[in-house]
Amino acid sequence: MIQVLKSIGRSFSSMKWPLTAVVAGSLLASPATAQETIKIGALYPLSGAVAKSGEDTLNAIKLAVEIINGQHPELNIPFAKTTGLPRLKNAKIELITADHQANPEIGAAEAERMISQRKVVALIGTFLSSVASTVSTVAERNEIPFMTGDSEATPLTERGYKWLFRTTPTSRDQARDFFVFLRDLNSKTDQKVKTIAVVHENTLWGQEFGKSMAGHFKDFPEFTLAVNIGYQQGTTDVTSEVQRLISAKPDVVVHASYDAEAILFAKTYKQFNFTPKGVLAIGAAFSSSAFRNALKSDANYFLVREHWALDLADRNPLIGEVGQLYQKRYNKAMDGAPARAFQAMMVLADAINRAGSTKPEAIQKALKETDMAPSSLIMPWEGVKFDAKGQNTKTRGIFVQTINEAPATVWPFDMARTKIVWPKPAQ
Amino acid sequence: MSAPSVNKGLTFAGSPIKLRNIVLFFAGVGILYLIPQFLDGKPFELRLLTVIFLYAVMGQSWNILGGYAGQISIGHAMFFGLGAYTSTIAFLNFGVNPWIGGLLAVAVSALAGVLIGIPCFRLRSHYFVIATLVVAESIFLIFSEWSFVGAAIGLELPIRPSGWENFQFHRNKIPYYYIALTMLVVVTIFVIWMERSKIGFVLKGIRDDEDAVRSLGFSPLRYKLIAMAFSAGILGFCGTFYAQYVLLIEPPTVLFASISVIVALIPIFGGIGTVAGPIIGSVILLTISEYSRVHFSGSGRNVDLLIYGALIMVFAAYCPGGVMSMISSLRARFRKGAV
Repeated sequence: MIQVLKSIGRSFSSMKWPLTAVVAGSLLASPATAQETIKIGALYPLSGAVAKSGEDTLNAIKLAVEIINGQHPELNIPFAKTTGLPRLKNAKIELITADHQANPEIGAAEAERMISQRKVVALIGTFLSSVASTVSTVAERNEIPFMTGDSEATPLTERGYKWLFRTTPTSRDQARDFFVFLRDLNSKTDQKVKTIAVVHENTLWGQEFGKSMAGHFKDFPEFTLAVNIGYQQGTTDVTSEVQRLISAKPDVVVHASYDAEAILFAKTYKQFNFTPKGVLAIGAAFSSSAFRNALKSDANYFLVREHWALDLADRNPLIGEVGQLYQKRYNKAMDGAPARAFQAMMVLADAINRAGSTKPEAIQKALKETDMAPSSLIMPWEGVKFDAKGQNTKTRGIFVQTINEAPATVWPFDMARTKIVWPKPAQ
Repeated sequence: MSAPSVNKGLTFAGSPIKLRNIVLFFAGVGILYLIPQFLDGKPFELRLLTVIFLYAVMGQSWNILGGYAGQISIGHAMFFGLGAYTSTIAFLNFGVNPWIGGLLAVAVSALAGVLIGIPCFRLRSHYFVIATLVVAESIFLIFSEWSFVGAAIGLELPIRPSGWENFQFHRNKIPYYYIALTMLVVVTIFVIWMERSKIGFVLKGIRDDEDAVRSLGFSPLRYKLIAMAFSAGILGFCGTFYAQYVLLIEPPTVLFASISVIVALIPIFGGIGTVAGPIIGSVILLTISEYSRVHFSGSGRNVDLLIYGALIMVFAAYCPGGVMSMISSLRARFRKGAV
């Protein structure tokens, strides 16, 4: 027994010096590394059903932080040429990430922990609007700015919160884009659209969209709602839905569907020879690579309302730069959701830089004063400017059409590189 | 239990509880009531303890039906969700105070439990399990589409000033801790009483041999319904607590199958059919899941869930009776060694 103790003692005494050296070294090194990082908490769903989207989105935020922190003289993205934020003595951003598991309770708890225990100066997230709802409440109570570039539910910014800022358009604004687009299209073609059918899946996203669409008809009296069809997400047969559509004879169908059902609907339309003037969709499902691979040439001419497209790089070189960096870093093409999150992080960094301080009130004030020009954005928006509720008022959507099995931006017409194919040719 | 559950005179009384255990129980509770004094500025730890208490209560309630009566349900999320929706709808539409809403939630959930129990208890063993799963899934789907209850979008509770009268506490969440702890103490005392009462003996009899219980002149259905009502009612109040704590309820977070699984897993892991089982299960499972989440989840590699899942698998393989059975077998071995 004594032998054992002695040997333990020996090993300790032999360890003593290197240990002290390490401690001393870390003490000496700490002032340099601890130099005023700006802590920002990022909350995303990294497990569960939406984990993939959560990861892609968080990756874009990480990329934004890398660009801000590092020195990239070759890039024209804001903050790329300098290290850190210039007005804060080049302080770097430290991103603290967490998985909220798509659970509003865990999201709120994480937000609270980040604020009081990790001392973050701002929060960003959360992809899911239900989680954004509870996180924004925590942020409001603790008076910490919360930026969302990807939670779309309209009511979030209807609550009059003072610490919530949203760069992305609400689901209501996104639904409105369909009407603006169709009105614009009607002014340009003889194939006028009068009746619209709405088909949506029945989870939160689809229900919100269906409601938002229905709310716009009174502002656009030239259109009437032919039929509004909700279906169960994950269904394997949509025959009855398509038969209802056929009997309603709409000019266009507007979809809110996920990948699998998008493919199913497109196939069933073909089977029943249902040929409206156009099939439009919100979200990427009707132009995703899964959709194109499954349907080949039948994937052509579907129209998707998107936030962002890589082919806009001709008009805006920033899009090309970010798109390439993302592709190189994550070996995956960037799409609308990550692009939006990237933009939100940039807007937040811009505000913190202008505030010249990490005090939450200063950041909030700077966010309220935000007025960014289109040239500094990677989104095809008219700018970033928040209203009193914290909603960005200068958003704009684009429409992307699959032509020759590749997506191309076709609207707004002044931005489009490719001419829209309208009406949808029967195949 | 030492008392015979079947004897001629049919007297029902457990062996008296030792004074030492009563003292220990209340001393432990006393310490738990003092803990928040040391948790100022530590929301993570405060929340962890609050959630541990909440899940321990939920585990206790499942245990009444699943552990004592042996009726395994994997649909208990429906009672939790019904409770959350009852008090929230009562508040939003009729301005009912959430405390009264909580009592309504107990009533609605217990009633739902009885109504669902009447047909489902005609089924035994795995058929009953499947029935509970299917009913819960149907309720989930109905609530996801029914616009009166907010459909898939859910319901948000308006923020009221912090205070006991509003059952809302914002900046300082310590009252939630006290409420959850009190729920746990009350429910645990209730379960201890129930275990030693006539109901407890009959329920255990049903679990071991339903036909034998019937032959003694008891109606198994009646006692199963009593267990279901207790179980569902307690979960109903837990639902109200959750709604007031999070202030947002939606089908995926209050009615989803994952809640049914966790409320069953906690007592099974801790020790099915024991008073301490749900508490031990809740402490161990939530501590592991929360600390692993905080430390590993940010990487996006789901390490936290892997650790959590692996631990449950190891435990299921080597200790199927739960922590309590491990403790008692260790104790037996120790005694044997000591002799």
